[in-house]
Amino acid sequence: MGHRPGVISTRDRDARGSWPASAHDARRFILDRLPGSSPVEGVSAGADQYGRADEPATLVEPSVIEGGEFRAVRVLNKGEPRGQSGFSGFLDGTQRITIVNQHEGIPIVWATVSAAIRVRVNRRLVSWPARGPSVQGRFYLPLRYVAALGEDVRNDARVVDTAEQRSGENIPSRHPAALMECAVQKVQNDRERLEQELAEQWCASEAGTLYVDGSITASAVSSKSSHAVGVIKTHRRLYADGDAFRVLVNLSAGERSSVFRVSPRSRFAVASWYVRVREARGHDALFGLVRVEAAEVDDMSIRADEISRWIMAEGAPLALPDGRWDKMAYGIRDTEEFLRAIS
Amino acid sequence: MTEPLGRVVATERKPNTPHEFHFWTSLDSPVGIGTIVRVDGAHPVEGQIPHIYGVVVEGFSYTDLLSPMHDVLSHDGRPSNAGFAVTERAEIRLYTAAVLRQIPEEPLQPVPMGEVFLAEEEDVATALRMDGYLKEGANTGIPVGVYRAGATDSVIYLDADFLLGPEAAHLNISGMSGLATKTSAVEWLLASLFAHFPESKGSVAAVCFNVKGPDLCFLDQPGKLEDRDREMYEKMGVVPGPFENVTYYAPYTAKGFGLNTLRSNEALLHNVKPLTWGLREVLQYAEVLLNKDDIDAKADAMIDFITERVVDRRFDQDPYLSREHTVQSFGDLENWFRDLLRGMEKANAESWRTHHIATIRKVRNRLSNISTRCAGLVTDTGDVSDLPFGSFEDRAVYVVDVATLEEDAQDLIFARIVSKLREHLERRDLGVKHLVVFVDELNKYAPSDGQDTYVRKMLLDIAERGRYLGLVLFSAQQFRSQVHRRVVGNSGTALYGRMDGDELATPGYSVLSPATRIKLATLEKGQLMVRHPHFTQPIFVRFPRPAVMQGRDGAEKFPQATDVTLEHAMYRSLRTVDPAVSMAWIKDLVSLYEEGELIAARNAALVAKPSNVRGFFESRLRKKIPAQPAFNSALSPREPISARSLPDDDPYGL
Repeated sequence: MGHRPGVISTRDRDARGSWPASAHDARRFILDRLPGSSPVEGVSAGADQYGRADEPATLVEPSVIEGGEFRAVRVLNKGEPRGQSGFSGFLDGTQRITIVNQHEGIPIVWATVSAAIRVRVNRRLVSWPARGPSVQGRFYLPLRYVAALGEDVRNDARVVDTAEQRSGENIPSRHPAALMECAVQKVQNDRERLEQELAEQWCASEAGTLYVDGSITASAVSSKSSHAVGVIKTHRRLYADGDAFRVLVNLSAGERSSVFRVSPRSRFAVASWYVRVREARGHDALFGLVRVEAAEVDDMSIRADEISRWIMAEGAPLALPDGRWDKMAYGIRDTEEFLRAIS
Repeated sequence: MTEPLGRVVATERKPNTPHEFHFWTSLDSPVGIGTIVRVDGAHPVEGQIPHIYGVVVEGFSYTDLLSPMHDVLSHDGRPSNAGFAVTERAEIRLYTAAVLRQIPEEPLQPVPMGEVFLAEEEDVATALRMDGYLKEGANTGIPVGVYRAGATDSVIYLDADFLLGPEAAHLNISGMSGLATKTSAVEWLLASLFAHFPESKGSVAAVCFNVKGPDLCFLDQPGKLEDRDREMYEKMGVVPGPFENVTYYAPYTAKGFGLNTLRSNEALLHNVKPLTWGLREVLQYAEVLLNKDDIDAKADAMIDFITERVVDRRFDQDPYLSREHTVQSFGDLENWFRDLLRGMEKANAESWRTHHIATIRKVRNRLSNISTRCAGLVTDTGDVSDLPFGSFEDRAVYVVDVATLEEDAQDLIFARIVSKLREHLERRDLGVKHLVVFVDELNKYAPSDGQDTYVRKMLLDIAERGRYLGLVLFSAQQFRSQVHRRVVGNSGTALYGRMDGDELATPGYSVLSPATRIKLATLEKGQLMVRHPHFTQPIFVRFPRPAVMQGRDGAEKFPQATDVTLEHAMYRSLRTVDPAVSMAWIKDLVSLYEEGELIAARNAALVAKPSNVRGFFESRLRKKIPAQPAFNSALSPREPISARSLPDDDPYGL
């Protein structure tokens, strides 16, 4: 029996040197190469399910570097037009994680990570001409638990071992959830690496400022460059303990907090502050609140005001229908949609 | 290689089919409704890369906005704030195209994904299957207009075999009045037809009925053209000039002095000829003028009897008739009726040759009335001035001006001329092989409802059978939906100018997409939508202004002659036959003879076109010796006493 016309056999695909382009391809790929594995249909795994959702919500005392105390600073008066933005590009990344097979209870994960920069030309967003989007499709599996997998696959750089032993760490158990947590973490790392590469290339080549969705502390280049600004929408860790917390939750739209220094462990220090993009009245305390990261400069107040106004300007048009529209810039939504379309 | 301007897209909710596909373009692409595009498939089918040609029939534009409320919120409820937004929303231009042609044509598959290109000139020819009739040596293309999109400027050709027959025939034009579409399009198309009709297919001429205003009254005069019109003429290979061979026909006015036409300016009379018919010509078409109430079976039998047994025959030896009759005109017929009825009354007879006296009276009344109702067209004397049936010339236009006539006269003219044309074409002795008959206001002559008139029957007959004879109907109307379905349905080619919204809402237009209908409702002057048997979808074209003087311009440049005296009317008309005719001679005649006698002689001279006009004219008049003016020695010999002062019955002036 042969395949239907138009369906390319795995052997033919290999002969052409093609790597799976979709979860469906990946499922067939593993079925061909891992005897005894069984396909898993329709199981996607998100970071919330296997990772970050478990990160504890904490309050951290901010290390204020602007003035003496943590206070609110108005950057845009009520009723004042949002003004112009100095951001030239928007960087975001996405990940799509799918369990495609299982082999004796061991989950075999296929994930696509992607990142792109969209630049603004005549008020419209287009792909950054200097470097197109990066899209990677990889297998994430614990090699030690799938011994039947052929050597060619094991040695492929696009296969990520989720059970490798690192110094000081235990080998993950066979528990599928533990293995999934490892896989998700690896996928997130890959996505961050892609984003980081793009951000660093931007900082090295462009004169404008890049709006990065997320933290810039992972990169030595980005965290020191005036061409990248990180904007964080999730606040599991709030840099506002004690009186600062009251100041933070009472920020009005168009206000920012004092600038403080953020120095995460094994990352790079940056200046940071909160901006209330939209009025929170009638919503929860974190509605419309973003945390901004930027490289420290001499006059941080002026820089923070300037960047805060840019972020306010990015509030229109709304990023609806995205559920995070209160904090998300339209440019980031556009980049996410773009990545969803190509990955 | 040209850059693609779009990409084919298909979703489960909006899939592509063998007859329709969707594609998106950049926001600044030159694509619009009516644009012809080419899709190059990515994968070969049976070893051949598929090429699909389509015409854009619908367009969509939207952003990633889910609710208008989101935009309100984005800009704080102030539209003016939208201008300050640093980014514009992602926006799409999505088009739907109807497939014109797929190559290869088999297997017929849904349109594949692929790149979309603006159709170039060669693509347009392929898409519209024009490549089949534009072959070297067998070219039957008649340019109808220019298709324009982006940098493409492509001539669109109709197939003469499908315009003038024998494969299909007839052309119908719809459009709102006053937007220079219907008449202009016909004038242009006739020029194009005359320029491109293949010699191998024989000769062609046109008979145009001018039914309103001065629309067709100046076809032989040059019109105003702009450079872009000239460019189109050059591109389509048509010389931009007026028609070279045009003859106008019009009946006389009721008074009979001059012709009943808007083309009555003296400078244009050289090719205006009278259209007059006598009893013989009219009787055959009495049905046109007499409705069912007029003609019952008895009256019909009486008319048949007159036609067969009375007209043009010596009628004598009848007990009721006082003398011999030879009926050749309405005047003769009236004398015959009068004599017959007087005889019957004297004899107190109720019937004559099975015809009841009441029937005879009724027929007399109705027939005698014809010359009154159609005064100027129908002559009492029987003089005939007609179209040159049998000697029609190639590439000639014959305009019959009925614009100012009564409806009855219009119907009679139309019925008789078309019947004669048909008869001659059947006998192949018209003079040309193909004849185009242009009739405007088809709503009036072939309505979809109302009683079945003789004229409508004739139009149906042409529409259904004319193409076998070479008799082709070019018809026009404002409301296609109100024209008989069999007339418009048999028109192989249909042109549409700007249409009325109400008309577009009728079921006949439901096959068009809403966008196409909107485009039709907003077409500019000089734009047409064309349907032709070779085109699987309607195509939009531009056509140049006709190179003939427009009716309004002509009416200004050549104002209609005011009511003239008998002397002037005779002088003007006779000078077209013999320029040597003098006003003094005509004044002499007018002073001597009665108006009717002079008009009859003038009409006869115009028909006969004798070499010696004065001799011919005087031979038609009763002999009279002109009165010699009595000279008073005290008066100057150059001041004769007016002949008018003489008694009418004293030819000797005594």
